[in-house]
Amino acid sequence: MLDAKLEELRRATLAGFASAVSLEQLEESRVAALGRKGTLAQISKEFGKLRPEERAQLGKLLNSVKQDLESDYGDKKRGFEQAELAHRLANEWIDVTLPARGVRVGSLHPITQLQSEIEDLFTSLGFAILYGPEVETEEHNFDALNIPATHPARDMQDTFWLSDGNLLRTHTSPVQVRGMRELKPPLRMIAPGRVFRNEEVDASHEHTFYQLEGMMVDREVSIANLIYFMKILLSSIFKRDAIVRLRPGYFPFVEPGFELDIHCLICDGAGCPVCKQSGWVELLPCGLVHPNVLRMSDIDPEEWSGFAFGLGLTRLAMMRYGIDDIRQLQGGDLRFLTQF
Amino acid sequence: MKFSYRWLAELVPGLADDSPGPLELARLITMKTAECEGVEPASHLDLHGLAPDYIIDIDNKSLTHRPDLWGHIGMAREVAAITGGSLVDPVKVSLLPTGQPEIRVRIADHELCPRYSALVMEGVQVDLSPVWLQNRLESIGINAINNIVDVTNLILAELPQPMHAFDADKLTGDTIHVRLARRHERLRALNGETYDLTEEDLVIADASGPVALAGVIGGAETAISEGSRRVVLESANFNAARVRLTSARLKLRTDASVRFEKALDPENTVRGLARAVELFQEVCPSARPVGGFADDRGVLRPVGPILLPVNFVSRKLGTRVTLQRVVAILRALGFTVSEPQAETLIVTVPSWRATKDISLRDDLVEEIGRMIGYNEIPPVAPKVSCVVPPANPMRLFLRSVRQQLASQGFTEVYNYSFVNEAEAERFSLSISEHIAIRNPIGSELTHLRRSLLPGLFKNIVDNVRHSPAFRIFEVGQEIHGNASSLPNEITRGAAAIYDAHGDEQDFFELKRVLECVFPSSCLSAAEARPFEHPTRTAYIHWRGTVIGRIFELHPLLLQREGVEGRAVLFETDLDLAQRLTASRLLRYTPVRKYPTSGFDLSVISDIRMPADKIQDALAQLAGSHLASIEFIRQYDGPPLLPGQKSVSYHIEAGALDHTLSAEEVAEIRNQIIEGMRGRGFELRV
Repeated sequence: MLDAKLEELRRATLAGFASAVSLEQLEESRVAALGRKGTLAQISKEFGKLRPEERAQLGKLLNSVKQDLESDYGDKKRGFEQAELAHRLANEWIDVTLPARGVRVGSLHPITQLQSEIEDLFTSLGFAILYGPEVETEEHNFDALNIPATHPARDMQDTFWLSDGNLLRTHTSPVQVRGMRELKPPLRMIAPGRVFRNEEVDASHEHTFYQLEGMMVDREVSIANLIYFMKILLSSIFKRDAIVRLRPGYFPFVEPGFELDIHCLICDGAGCPVCKQSGWVELLPCGLVHPNVLRMSDIDPEEWSGFAFGLGLTRLAMMRYGIDDIRQLQGGDLRFLTQF
Repeated sequence: MKFSYRWLAELVPGLADDSPGPLELARLITMKTAECEGVEPASHLDLHGLAPDYIIDIDNKSLTHRPDLWGHIGMAREVAAITGGSLVDPVKVSLLPTGQPEIRVRIADHELCPRYSALVMEGVQVDLSPVWLQNRLESIGINAINNIVDVTNLILAELPQPMHAFDADKLTGDTIHVRLARRHERLRALNGETYDLTEEDLVIADASGPVALAGVIGGAETAISEGSRRVVLESANFNAARVRLTSARLKLRTDASVRFEKALDPENTVRGLARAVELFQEVCPSARPVGGFADDRGVLRPVGPILLPVNFVSRKLGTRVTLQRVVAILRALGFTVSEPQAETLIVTVPSWRATKDISLRDDLVEEIGRMIGYNEIPPVAPKVSCVVPPANPMRLFLRSVRQQLASQGFTEVYNYSFVNEAEAERFSLSISEHIAIRNPIGSELTHLRRSLLPGLFKNIVDNVRHSPAFRIFEVGQEIHGNASSLPNEITRGAAAIYDAHGDEQDFFELKRVLECVFPSSCLSAAEARPFEHPTRTAYIHWRGTVIGRIFELHPLLLQREGVEGRAVLFETDLDLAQRLTASRLLRYTPVRKYPTSGFDLSVISDIRMPADKIQDALAQLAGSHLASIEFIRQYDGPPLLPGQKSVSYHIEAGALDHTLSAEEVAEIRNQIIEGMRGRGFELRV
């Protein structure tokens, strides 16, 4: 009789599990059958009245019913849990294209970016990086660079003169003088920085702009060496072969001196305000350091020679980013600056 | 300087209309000699060639060191050397008359006037020049005036030798003096202006006083006019620096002065006279020289021969050049080159290159380099020793500051180094403490900035039109005047958060940013400057030093510009801050092996008691078992009394060698509570 009850329990409970539509209903069926006061527990209480042989036989049946029910319950429960998880996750859909909260990343000024890049390049080539003052003495800015007061070359650089007798440096070249005096030869250095010329501002002229001076002094330094460095510099900046030309240029602190022009990247040589319609932009005055300049910094020109160049960082930034109005660089307009 | 293609073609006969042609010639000149700024059809027909002419415009800046290129002959010589043509010298020195000069010349100082040549012409008839001469001058931008003046101007643009014609009958006495002006002397010049002269100005004088400013401009009283019959032609050489000095002082730049200040060739004075005699035969046939020419000259010091080893040229250029090539280039440019001995040339510099331009063998390297063409030199990597370059710690520091700020949402601006009075005073800076610019461009940019704040303020005001909230920063030099030598330049880093709907949280946001840039920095309240919010201003402390200030901008400053909202700014001395990073050696602290125990405490204090004082007191009282202390919240309002606040902290305590027992933790807690009460704080426990 008990075996019939066990079989009935198995059948009824499995049917209950099968028809459960929620975890709660499943649990109800489990408690009714397998709970502490459930049918199975009640049946097992009746075992006491049985003979030992009957008890052993029914015990086997009882265990088998219990195992079947627990196993089926486990399967059903996992099924409900998985479905519930899947349902919850499905409802956690988000629109990944919504904007993030918090501040957006800012930006570095294009000149800062370009300068950093060139500093890294020259550091890797063993050049020191020097920063000189924006206010300079007349001696450093002119005399020590072979430009005495009577020299007409002073007219080439319209100078801001200051009430304290000094001047705003018209080029980064005075840092050459500081470099030669501090580092002693052999030396390799670059000096980026802000320079000033007293001129009216328009789309291609600024009274404040940026240069990067470079210098190398060693036992044997030639024009071929200088050209080598200029090619490395330009191919590294433009990531392609820039079209350049070298032509004579006069700067009192170099001899020979020349100008490196780059094919205008704004108009591709067709002519625009930046290149003054010529298709070429002057980028790099350079040359071999004049013996007088070496001598004025206590370097013996019989023993040492060197090259120097002055890269127009502002021009270069304009070329690289296609900026056709130089005033933008110091205009402080965030609509411009946040593009970099 | 404008050059006529046809005029050049007369001096270099091989030059044809189409070969190389004006455009190609201009390109060749740019690549080998001096920068061409453009080629234009001439405004006038060339009557010698009966053909249209072209004007090649050369950038004056690229002629600064080349006095010879301020005349067509000089450029023609370059063109001949570049194209392989030959140069025709238009001067026939044999035309100079001989005999006793009709006029005497006395030079007071040959240093200031190395040479003065003069010739008297009589039978002069002042008239218009022939059209070819007028056209030639007008084409290169010189106004045609009359036959006499036009001849002098032609020679100026040809040799180049500036000349002057005096009306001989208006000169007093028979001697021309070249001397410094005397005090109180004046000169009414050809341009109608009257100049007060100083004892530094070199003048041409007759017995009555100055008749011309040497090398700059002639006087009106002795100028030739329609009725002039006898003229004195001056063809002189003046000291370049002296001409420059007078011309700069009087702000009077003339075709003559720009040439003289480049140091002209003294050999040209008599050549100029010879050329004038020839031209007068054509444009003023009635004129004849009277007597011989006067010529007062000092001892001219020619540049000695330069020894040029050919391998020096190869070493400097970095490419091998043959002896034959060097000799050919130098000779084409007018140098005399001796027969070489052991690969060393003895080079004599021609007079027109010897005044300033060429004196060293390095100068000769340039002549050879440019004629070969710099584009022909293959690049070569230098052979130098491999060394680590000297460090620049400031560079790395500035880079990290900039990158931190950019990653926190700040956009970098570059502002000018200039400031004007209104801008300075807005930020309580007296303009008199700024270094002034003696020659400012306009009234806006008159002084050098001592602060980045005026610039950032302007950026804020300018950008509010386009954006309701933004963050900007600048890293730049402030220039602080200094009695001795150079000013003190301070590298300042300044940043601003602007928000049209800002509140006090902007201050704490900027404080958080500061802690990113300067980790573990802290603030202490500071007395506000007039442009700062009086109760929202603090010093920034970093590594034991005040490195700057943070503040909310006084609301009136923005209001006055019609700008709503708030701006919070900081400014820091980055030179100082960088020095604080220099000597830091980081040592590791062992990680705790035993767990810590935590508890919260709320301290009641006066509402304006700085929280960091409370935190410091708690930490001190916790003693050596303090593992960490963290701010939880601040509260004011009921049930607290008005003027009170409650500040809550979470404290973790622990020992390095065992786990604290409940009793030990309770003891630490009590020790803190009693200690705080002893210092006058209430605790909510």
